Amino acid sequence: MYSDAYDPLDEAIAGLPLEEPPAGLRASILLATAYRPAPLFSLGEYVAMGAIAAIALWLIALVVMGGATLFVHTIETIAGTSARTLSNGATLAWLAAGGATALWISLFTGFQPAAVLPKRSQPPPRR
Amino acid sequence: MTTAPEDDGALVARALRGNPDAFATLVERYDRAVYHLAYRTLQDSEEARDATQEAFFKAFRSLRTFKIGSKFSTWIFAITYHACCDRLNRRKRYAGSELPERADPSPGPEDQAIALDDARRLRAAVDALPEKYRTVITLFHLQGKQYEEIAEVLGLPLGTVKTHLFRAKEQLRKLLGEMEVS
Repeated sequence: MYSDAYDPLDEAIAGLPLEEPPAGLRASILLATAYRPAPLFSLGEYVAMGAIAAIALWLIALVVMGGATLFVHTIETIAGTSARTLSNGATLAWLAAGGATALWISLFTGFQPAAVLPKRSQPPPRR
Repeated sequence: MTTAPEDDGALVARALRGNPDAFATLVERYDRAVYHLAYRTLQDSEEARDATQEAFFKAFRSLRTFKIGSKFSTWIFAITYHACCDRLNRRKRYAGSELPERADPSPGPEDQAIALDDARRLRAAVDALPEKYRTVITLFHLQGKQYEEIAEVLGLPLGTVKTHLFRAKEQLRKLLGEMEVS
């Protein structure tokens, strides 16, 4: 039924000109991909800033409500608890396991950590 | 002295290392062909434009899943084809009936073809083909006789692609013959 022999129709099809894309298509693709303007902050930075702001708000509330004594007591409690937690081998092992799992899952989901993402801050070339 | 153009695999590797110019070169190399495939499949310039953007955006987002050693053209055409299929399915859902053979309300290709030159007549005949044949002919146009790659893009067995191509050409000959007579 099917033959690879010379067919003038094949030649005619191959000779058809490609459709002309609309003006600005390439620029819009490049602006959405390779030359996408870098966001002001990465997701991780937003999360970190939010956490810092929440902690700051909490500490300010402590100072306002209980004065310096409660503030110092709270800071000491946080520091003590953190030190105890991070000196516990089992906790560190769980943290390492969690981090390794997250990294492993990211290999399958296509999620790219900020460090390996292409830089997008450069403007598109002028042609 | 001119340097040989960098092959697609090397450009993908450079893009993955964070070089935006490498991906831009791939866009410059394939945007016209991708738009052509989208336009021929969807027969609507606005939708083809959106499908082209969507295809490159998806390719950029999932560049890490591209298998180094395979052909970038086949990969991007497959992404484009799937984007077009999604749009055709949506169109079908909203229309609630059979897909229209053509999206444009303009006169049929046969009418348009009268007094056109050979290339325009052939294009009008391709437009008049059913969607599955039109796509296979468009990919044959873009990729030549690389039947395995056409099959990969469409997700069809090689034999089916060859059969579709054979029937598409048969219909094309018939349409071109009718245009000749009219």
